Amino acid sequence: MHDGRFDPSGFYEFNLTGGMVRTRTGERVVILSEDVLSSLVAAAARDGDLTPLRRLGELLGEQVLGGLDRPASVLSPEAVLGHVSAVTSLFGWGRLTFERWGAALVVALRDKPELDEDELGAAALLGGMFSEISQRQVSCVPTGDSKFVMVDFEVAETVWGWFKDGADLPAIIGMLDTKRAS
Amino acid sequence: MSDREDRLRSLLNKVRAKRPDERTTRAADALERIRTASGTMAAAAQSAPPTVPPTPVPSSAPAQLPSSPLPEPPTSPTIDSPTRYSSQPPRVERPLSIEPRARSVRPSSGAPAVGSRPAGASPSRRPESIRAQSVAPTGQPVVYATDQPEFPRPKTFGDLLELTLSLRPR
Repeated sequence: MHDGRFDPSGFYEFNLTGGMVRTRTGERVVILSEDVLSSLVAAAARDGDLTPLRRLGELLGEQVLGGLDRPASVLSPEAVLGHVSAVTSLFGWGRLTFERWGAALVVALRDKPELDEDELGAAALLGGMFSEISQRQVSCVPTGDSKFVMVDFEVAETVWGWFKDGADLPAIIGMLDTKRAS
Repeated sequence: MSDREDRLRSLLNKVRAKRPDERTTRAADALERIRTASGTMAAAAQSAPPTVPPTPVPSSAPAQLPSSPLPEPPTSPTIDSPTRYSSQPPRVERPLSIEPRARSVRPSSGAPAVGSRPAGASPSRRPESIRAQSVAPTGQPVVYATDQPEFPRPKTFGDLLELTLSLRPR
């Protein structure tokens, strides 16, 4: 057991003779330049298939879960955020913070790599990561200003449509309402 | 001789008959002077002339003792009445605005992000930041600074997630 804080020491294992870089959980990773990654993501977004980015997010989520001593659902939001933001930073994806807008949980990802204009690549990455962490189908819908509202997978398309129609984050929040399952 | 003896005894009796009153008067006068000078029994005990015999003071004399030589003990503070200035929160006057509840949530105070309206009813609300554990090592929630929570703050990430995933279009 540890104190709940993320320990970044020894996160990467560099095998120079083997030409490989692995995380401490054994995942092989490849270091890419931002420009190359941006081109790949932009192409994937045009084709409408961001599955690789979502899969990469799931791998990040696995790294997060590997650092937790209990399921994320029973930990405090601060504890989960600490691990999520640490793993996100270690993979070079920027600074991640949480915000609460009413009942909505909003993820802000600052200083992230410039990928596609609509931020769909980052949305796919975050969606995959939080789906893995929560073990539920979660979508992070871009709402501008590097912020993503976390919603159920089923309403993601609707929320995305609102944003494309010009609604900003406060307006989107205003069009959502809590409906608890009975 | 007998006449002379008779006169002397008569005088002696008269003297004996008068002396207790005189002594009483003197004692009472001394006490009165002491009382005026000090006003306390303690001072009276210290400054009473040693020549004044204590016993001759008749029992009626204490009636002339200072009626209130000792100051009344200070009335104890009303314990059952709390100090109001510390037991009540300071009243914060909010300026009137067109949307008085529009900015009820302040990120710096750690107040909950929802006002009295249903979720998302106020488009101009500001978000509440959740600090990373590196900032709050104990993992405890951010303490509410002034505003009372208007509904319970989710204590776990699971609660937080459940809340946001329950959002549906109105």
